[in-house]
Amino acid sequence: MFGLRLIYTRLYGLLRKERVEQEMEEEMRFHLQMRTLENIEHGMKLEEAELEARRRFGNVGRIKDLGRDIKGGGFLETLLQDLRYGLRTLMKKPGFTLVAVLTLGLGIGANTAIFSLVNTVLLRPLPIAQPEQVVTLNFGTPGRGVFPLIGYPEYKDYRDHNQALAGLAAMGMAPVGLSNNGINERIWGLHVTGNYFSLLGVGAALGRVITPEDDLTPGAHPVVMLSYRCWQQRFGADPQIIGRSVLIGGRNYAVIGVTPPEFRGTELAYTPEMWFPMMMKPGLEVGSGPLKGRTSPVSTIGRLKEGVTWAQAESALNLTRAQLAREYSQTDKGQIIVLTQPGLFGAAMRGTVLKFTAVAMGVVVLVLLLACTNLVNMLLARASERHREIAIRLAIGAGRSRVLRQLLTESVLLALLGSALGLGLAYGAVELARFRMPVIFGFTQIELQLDWRVMVFTLVLSLLTGILFGLLPGLQATRPDLIPALKNESTLGGYRRSRLRNVLVVAQMSLSLVLLLCAGLVLRGLQSAQQIDPGFNPSQAVEVSFDPGVQQYDRERSHELQRQVLERVRSLPGLQAAALTAHPPLTSGEAGGKAVFIQGDEPKTATQAPITLTTSISLDYFRTMETRLLEGRDFTSQDDAQSPPVAIVNEAFARRFWPGETPIGKRFNFTTGKWIEIVGVAQNGKYSSLAEPPNPFVYLPLAQNYESKVTLIARGAGNPHLLTATIRKEIHGLDENLPLYDARTMLEHMDLPLAPARAAATALGGFGVLALLLAAVGVFGVMSHAVTQRTREIGVRIALGAGSKEIFRLIVGQGALLVGIGVGIGLVGAGLGTRLLASLLFGMSALDPLTFVGVTGLLAATAFLACYLPARRATKVDPMVALRQE
Amino acid sequence: MPTRDTKLLQGTLDMLILKALSIAPLHGYGIGQRIMQMSQDVLRVEEGSLYPALYRVERQGWIAAEWGVSENNLRAKFYKLTRAGRKQLEIEEENWERLAGAVFKVMQTT
Repeated sequence: MFGLRLIYTRLYGLLRKERVEQEMEEEMRFHLQMRTLENIEHGMKLEEAELEARRRFGNVGRIKDLGRDIKGGGFLETLLQDLRYGLRTLMKKPGFTLVAVLTLGLGIGANTAIFSLVNTVLLRPLPIAQPEQVVTLNFGTPGRGVFPLIGYPEYKDYRDHNQALAGLAAMGMAPVGLSNNGINERIWGLHVTGNYFSLLGVGAALGRVITPEDDLTPGAHPVVMLSYRCWQQRFGADPQIIGRSVLIGGRNYAVIGVTPPEFRGTELAYTPEMWFPMMMKPGLEVGSGPLKGRTSPVSTIGRLKEGVTWAQAESALNLTRAQLAREYSQTDKGQIIVLTQPGLFGAAMRGTVLKFTAVAMGVVVLVLLLACTNLVNMLLARASERHREIAIRLAIGAGRSRVLRQLLTESVLLALLGSALGLGLAYGAVELARFRMPVIFGFTQIELQLDWRVMVFTLVLSLLTGILFGLLPGLQATRPDLIPALKNESTLGGYRRSRLRNVLVVAQMSLSLVLLLCAGLVLRGLQSAQQIDPGFNPSQAVEVSFDPGVQQYDRERSHELQRQVLERVRSLPGLQAAALTAHPPLTSGEAGGKAVFIQGDEPKTATQAPITLTTSISLDYFRTMETRLLEGRDFTSQDDAQSPPVAIVNEAFARRFWPGETPIGKRFNFTTGKWIEIVGVAQNGKYSSLAEPPNPFVYLPLAQNYESKVTLIARGAGNPHLLTATIRKEIHGLDENLPLYDARTMLEHMDLPLAPARAAATALGGFGVLALLLAAVGVFGVMSHAVTQRTREIGVRIALGAGSKEIFRLIVGQGALLVGIGVGIGLVGAGLGTRLLASLLFGMSALDPLTFVGVTGLLAATAFLACYLPARRATKVDPMVALRQE
Repeated sequence: MPTRDTKLLQGTLDMLILKALSIAPLHGYGIGQRIMQMSQDVLRVEEGSLYPALYRVERQGWIAAEWGVSENNLRAKFYKLTRAGRKQLEIEEENWERLAGAVFKVMQTT
């Protein structure tokens, strides 16, 4: 009650200022009337009585002033007053304000943009019921990493034999070919078990969800649920969609429902457009036992029972795991189950994402600090200009806290303006990212949003920065050394101030050096990446991918189609060579690793076997890619399904298993299956990343190792885009419903692995240049100030015969000292920090001397320029004027 | 020259206002009169201190103002004690007793 009344009184005082005035007047008039009446009672005459009352009351105006101060001078009015005054001061110095707001806007905008990414990736809970109970199961051995994949039969065992989970659902990625309105596209779907939607607590926006009844018999439930976005974009938000039949992979599926708009699956990096019952997954094994599962992996998602903790669930599941291992007398001992939050493909991606986020946040916070430092500097400079004004205000009785509050209001105002700009910039960046994102990750649609958390973050950030860069100058400026300030003398306070500013300049120099060094290193990394030999020649080549499997082609028809495609493309005019491969090099996340067993040197269990990447290729692959064969022979048309299995390995594979020997004729196999004989050795290449060391790699003939998804690579003269178009036409001449994707030149393909580094270089470079500018402005400010402060000293020196050279050296020397210290600290910081960038440097040293020397030189040159102008001014000091100044 | 002027200690006026209002709501003039009456004409509150003190105490939330009609039918602003004010009065009375007692003891010492 009391609190409410207080607020009421103050608001009343603020909003009804005139009324308050009136009321006070009326109250005092009443008092005078009462006194007059009393005086008359005591026998005075009316006039005399009035006069006495007035005399006794004293100065009405003064009492009213006091009353106004007490009543109206509430928090809100002071704030409004301060704001109005602050705005006026800011408007008076538009240049200062503009620079400050821009600086802050960039700093805060960068922070907001990165934070909204972090928010999307790590903070925002999934739009499902009680997301904190939902876990992903990861399987693996300690020290060798865990993966969120198991076989479907194994999944069933865990689903049915555990005490900790209220439910366990499974899902598997499903690339499917959708034929709709005459357009054929490969889109990304998800096979889910019947309990998936009920376990997550996700309903249907339209129609119904997939239920266990839709998931009973393999191949018998052609129903599909669409994502909201898919329904909107591919089916024009057709309200009659439920029950409609859609052609997917050459088979009709009935649409049963549409998911809510906010539900986008549980994995951040995999946004399905369609959900199918698990039983519709081709090649699904429905038996039991752990071993069969390997060929058809699914990932799992479980919900903890009410009251069961994470740790309890983990140990309960590991108990189940041990029991199952005994039951199936599994040989792999020591495997474990690890629970993770869903969203980042289990534990596999989490570490990378966290590290990346930490680095990104670190960089933007650094930039914001830099912006703040500069603002502190600018405000300090301004505070010394306003020293007299502040001293006068203090002298005529403003409290120190009152003046401080005014200064803080000003800086917070500045921060708010900056954050408004920053929010705008962040919004632009997020829009840009949203627009670019699908290009970078084929099946990911990250919905970056500026939600309320981001707003709150920005607001808190700007208030903090406002206080951060406002408090220091404020405290300095209100230091009560009134007399000298009023007499316009420079004081010891001035000395203290400049020492603080020196510290700030040193900090700025070192921060901007660190940022610029990072940017320089990443740029150099990109440059060196261009020179990395990927083991093939990407120029004058194009690629197109297709997957007959999504159109329900079986093995024979698929082979036949692949053969026909090659035949047609090879007969195109101007074409030099064409070939197929299952996994083109440097395609993220597609080539699978396989455990290798060398004949005569078999390890005991599959988990101890070395892992190698493989691909299956058609004839002519090496000629098409211009990858050199170093030894042995290429595959021939004799290497088919009937002939003994053969392989071509790369140099790294040969050297690893048979150092100093020829591997030709040696034999190995993968986990199970017939021995494979090595017939050739190819040069090393880059397979999953440009930065990797030479890794072992195995090529197998496509004719012996069926893969339904293949990429056609063609090499020919002329315009590569025309070539891609011609190839598309040829393939569609064979099957007009076959979805084609990833049609591009190999040079475009090569750009993909460089995209993160390119983005990093752009961002770091941008921030680095910004930092350099900020630092230069800082140095300039400090040196100008120093020259002003030392005018008298310089005057004396000149009067005593110092030449302009000596004066110049004096000033530049002072600046050089600051810059030198800053550079020293920055170099040490960068030496410790840049190794975090290792993954973006493509094998280049994080201490690359050229970058370090070059960037440091650039910084020093800029700093010298910033010192030059003030130093020039110092040499022009007229000793007479300088000496007469005080 | 010894002075017989009774100057109020800083803050004491606030307490007296609260005390004066503890019986019934009063207008500003009435508060002055009541204090004078209670002190048997020793304490005369100056208007120049009374009104600022009233506004100060009002801002503290210890008293609340309301327009009403005075005994001689004039529109007047009446102040009354709030619950917080009553609590504050108790505290101040206690403090005052302790202070007054202490001062008395000091003055008694010879």
